[in-house]
Amino acid sequence: MRSTGMATMAWRNLRRNRRRTALTVFGISFGVLLAVIFTGIGDSSYADMIDLAARMGTGHVTVQHGDYLDTPSVSKTVTGTSKISALAARDENVKSISTRITGQVLLATSAASYGAAMLAIDPQKENKDTFALFDSVDEGAMFESGADKGIILGAKLAQNLDTKMGRKVVYTLTDKSGEIVSGLARVKGILRTGSQSVDAGLCILPIDTVRKTLGFDTDEATQVAVFLYDQRNSEKVAQRLKKTIGENAQVLTWDKSNPALAGFIGMKVSGTVIFEILILILIAAGIFNTIFVSVMERMREFGIMSAIGFSPTKIFSLVMWESLWIGIIGLISAAAITAYPYYLMATKGIDVSKMTGGEQSLEVAGVAMSPVIYADIYPQSILVICLAVFGATLLSGLYPAWRAGKVVPVESIKLV
Amino acid sequence: MNAENPKPIIVLENLVKIYRQGKLEVPAVRGVNLEIKSGEFTAISGPSGSGKTTVLNIIGALDDPTDGKVFVEGIHLASLSRSALSKLRRDRIGFVFQAYNLIPVLTAFENAEIVLALQGVAVKDRRERVMGLLADVGLEGMEHRRPDQLSGGQQQRVAIARAIASNPAVVLADEPTANVDSSTAEKLLSIMEKLNRKQHVTFVFSTHDQKVMDRARRIIHLVDGKISNDEIRE
Repeated sequence: MRSTGMATMAWRNLRRNRRRTALTVFGISFGVLLAVIFTGIGDSSYADMIDLAARMGTGHVTVQHGDYLDTPSVSKTVTGTSKISALAARDENVKSISTRITGQVLLATSAASYGAAMLAIDPQKENKDTFALFDSVDEGAMFESGADKGIILGAKLAQNLDTKMGRKVVYTLTDKSGEIVSGLARVKGILRTGSQSVDAGLCILPIDTVRKTLGFDTDEATQVAVFLYDQRNSEKVAQRLKKTIGENAQVLTWDKSNPALAGFIGMKVSGTVIFEILILILIAAGIFNTIFVSVMERMREFGIMSAIGFSPTKIFSLVMWESLWIGIIGLISAAAITAYPYYLMATKGIDVSKMTGGEQSLEVAGVAMSPVIYADIYPQSILVICLAVFGATLLSGLYPAWRAGKVVPVESIKLV
Repeated sequence: MNAENPKPIIVLENLVKIYRQGKLEVPAVRGVNLEIKSGEFTAISGPSGSGKTTVLNIIGALDDPTDGKVFVEGIHLASLSRSALSKLRRDRIGFVFQAYNLIPVLTAFENAEIVLALQGVAVKDRRERVMGLLADVGLEGMEHRRPDQLSGGQQQRVAIARAIASNPAVVLADEPTANVDSSTAEKLLSIMEKLNRKQHVTFVFSTHDQKVMDRARRIIHLVDGKISNDEIRE
């Protein structure tokens, strides 16, 4: 018999007990709905976290001094940043590139002094896609140029320093030769993000002014941050960049330069995978139950089939076709019932701010996240879910199909 | 085929079948020797428990003998693998069961066609063959009905069409008239007799229905698993 004939028989067999088939299909659909929504939330929030972390300073790929990661210091610089930027820009996955100086700084006013993290940027080459805080200046404004004489302080830091807009702040750094150097700046802006580590511990300075203070060349910085259209290409871009730059600098992907975030995401992804495996087991158990009960009810029928000439393989394939159909219908039905909830999750999301005390941002592994949870699943994740459900469907059918194929006609027909 | 002295298509040599129920051994067939030739219309009769269905099952490769040899068209069944036995049943043996045993999800046409489909016969050829057979058994116009839309007699006609669709060497019919009324039984027997006479289909019945025995040209009577009488009628 041609395979189409087996497919037709299998299809008709499923229609014999429509309620049971419908319940199984619903089980698959609901499982897929859960898997898609949860994976979509994971894909979306992890991508957001990675992008946000990249825009908070390191980029998706970072080029920096070989020792900077272990012992960060403004004395560990990379030179030839323009050339590095030009090389990086050749890669089609690269969206933009920023050169920055990062390090620790001591800030002092007439009232107090505090240590803080410093980020020196070129305001003319940065925007909100490369620098998450670019639009977060709550009071005042961003620098006009890299040679600006201003400083932007976190709101809490400004409060601790007892300073205001337009007032003087002295920043003190250690230069490459180990000498203490200072610069004077006026408060040009106040940052208010909701993230404790940013509001209380970060200041932003113009890069050319900082270069001058530290005695850097115009082509020297502590970091070249490379931003990508899709963070999943980080490794690929980093490898290519490593080949072109050579041993002059270290090229790190976001997970290497931000291991805390990578660890957090890794842990969450593992949780999601375990959850998906559980869903898969439940789906498989449902399908197995349906197919197995259906097979055991029809052992006499399989006996007849065997008697009239169906080979064990044919009977096996008939039951496998039934599993296949359940998988196909289940996935089609899953697409139908998942579409609208997914659309809502992708466009409106769920605002969890009320569950987190009304905070408008949540700090996760040092990254300030939006309290609205969205779903934005990668096509690859959908493919994996579909294949896994399909695989589970076929696996669930294997044992019942084997049992059906092993039927002994004389025992099932009970002619004796 | 030599009509005067046809070859035996079924040979049973000292056939023994013992069923075991725990430590209890129940002999169903005790040393049956038998030859059935092509074109025979044979009934195996006997009281309940005489072993007639067991003999039929063993001839049909549905059950294994405890001892002895079974040959179908010269092939020793014990030498065949499970899949080879399936192929033998598909190609050389037709079955008609007491309870019809049609596949419920297939129509009358599809039930009669299925063995040909399994053999890989071309769609056009099997359609032609099956439509002809359904007409022969009086089911014209009922091709698209499912078993649950047919009467018992009609279902048994489909079963007969299915059994002979692949031109088997022998059709084994286990109490084919037991579940139908006497008028339907007569019609079914007439159909099978016509197929036997016109198409030379070999029929072997297991029965204790007098109507079947009246039409059979050979009656093998079993008692307690042994042949007590083998009567050939002309």
